[in-house]
Amino acid sequence: MGPLIPNGIISMEWDSIIAIFIGICFGFVLESSGFSSSRKLAGVFYGYDFAVLKVFFTAAAVSVIGIYYMDYLGYLDVSQLYVHPTYLWGAIVGGIIMGVGFVAGGFCPGTSLCAVAIGKLDAWIYVLGIMVGVFIFSELYSFFEPIYDGDFLGNITLMDSFNWNPYWIIFGFSIIAVVAFAVSDMVRKRVKKIFY
Amino acid sequence: MVKKTVAKVLSFRYKILALILVLLAGGLVVLPKYQKQKGIKSEQLLSNAISPERYISTDQLADKIINQDPSFILIDVRDEDSYNNYSLPNALNIPLQNLLDQDFEGYLNQNQFDVIFYSNDNFYADQAWVLCDRLGYKNLRVLNGGINKWFTTIINPTEPTETMSTEEYKLYSTRKAASMFFGVMYPDQMTAEDSNLNVPVPKKVITVKKKKKRAAEGGC
Repeated sequence: MGPLIPNGIISMEWDSIIAIFIGICFGFVLESSGFSSSRKLAGVFYGYDFAVLKVFFTAAAVSVIGIYYMDYLGYLDVSQLYVHPTYLWGAIVGGIIMGVGFVAGGFCPGTSLCAVAIGKLDAWIYVLGIMVGVFIFSELYSFFEPIYDGDFLGNITLMDSFNWNPYWIIFGFSIIAVVAFAVSDMVRKRVKKIFY
Repeated sequence: MVKKTVAKVLSFRYKILALILVLLAGGLVVLPKYQKQKGIKSEQLLSNAISPERYISTDQLADKIINQDPSFILIDVRDEDSYNNYSLPNALNIPLQNLLDQDFEGYLNQNQFDVIFYSNDNFYADQAWVLCDRLGYKNLRVLNGGINKWFTTIINPTEPTETMSTEEYKLYSTRKAASMFFGVMYPDQMTAEDSNLNVPVPKKVITVKKKKKRAAEGGC
């Protein structure tokens, strides 16, 4: 049956409208759970607040379990879902830049826009920085192109590259998630409390 | 009292939630796996297969070709030699074993034209029909009787005997006219200037718009 749009159950013209709706919901939840504060996001790296880690780990675990149950019951075809293409070195370099920016600025791109919406000054500077970065990247695109386009591995997943059983990966992933929650709680108790 | 027990249970809430998560994930591992069926449901396939609408008769096809009906594609599922030897005008050759090749998917999986399969009889064409119908392709037909029946009814129609009805005579004259369209010459029609009638029909190029099939896209 699903996914709904590629199989024509919901017509393709609706996808932008649905995207806007989901985007608004996502932004609302981000803001109402305090993710538009750079202190909360940076807390993961300093060990006084692990909400981000918990939220995203839980989201990933719940959705992957849900998707595979739906696939098992025939409501959703996993093979039709979008898998992000892998450009190996582009992903590594981009990941490092993104990580540095995340620690230094205390925002990821999504939450920075959320914080812009509620008028945080540091977020305005952060988004300005993103724009400058985009500008520099596009101006020097011909120089960056070999990294950007190189080492294309296709739309691969761990199951394709290592021939693993998805069900065991999900099980292992949930165990890792639970362990990470427990460890992060322990770390948080040892680190000095910071009020913000 | 109740409040106290609730509070006691709720103090374990994170552990309970973690346990549920792990149990659900473990459930996926334990669940018995089964081979998933691709394409349309078997009941649907059966009801399509027994429907007489999936056949087109040679007379209907001849009528379509003569009237230059643009709404169909002929697909010859025999091998290449037979196709080169004799085939219907403007037919495409997709041998049965290559039927599901990527190159031909654009011709079979579209909503623009009716697809008419034929082979010598309708045996291989039926197989092609089942394969494609099962994948959920639309507007598929099979030429009833295939090339053999085409030959005995259109190209070389049997003359009705004197005891037969008027309809038979009418049908015969239609078929005879059709066969003349397809290049058959009868002694009573033959004249000197018709002798160069056997000009090969120019191949019509059939362009098939690929069905809009957009991969899902995403990003963060």
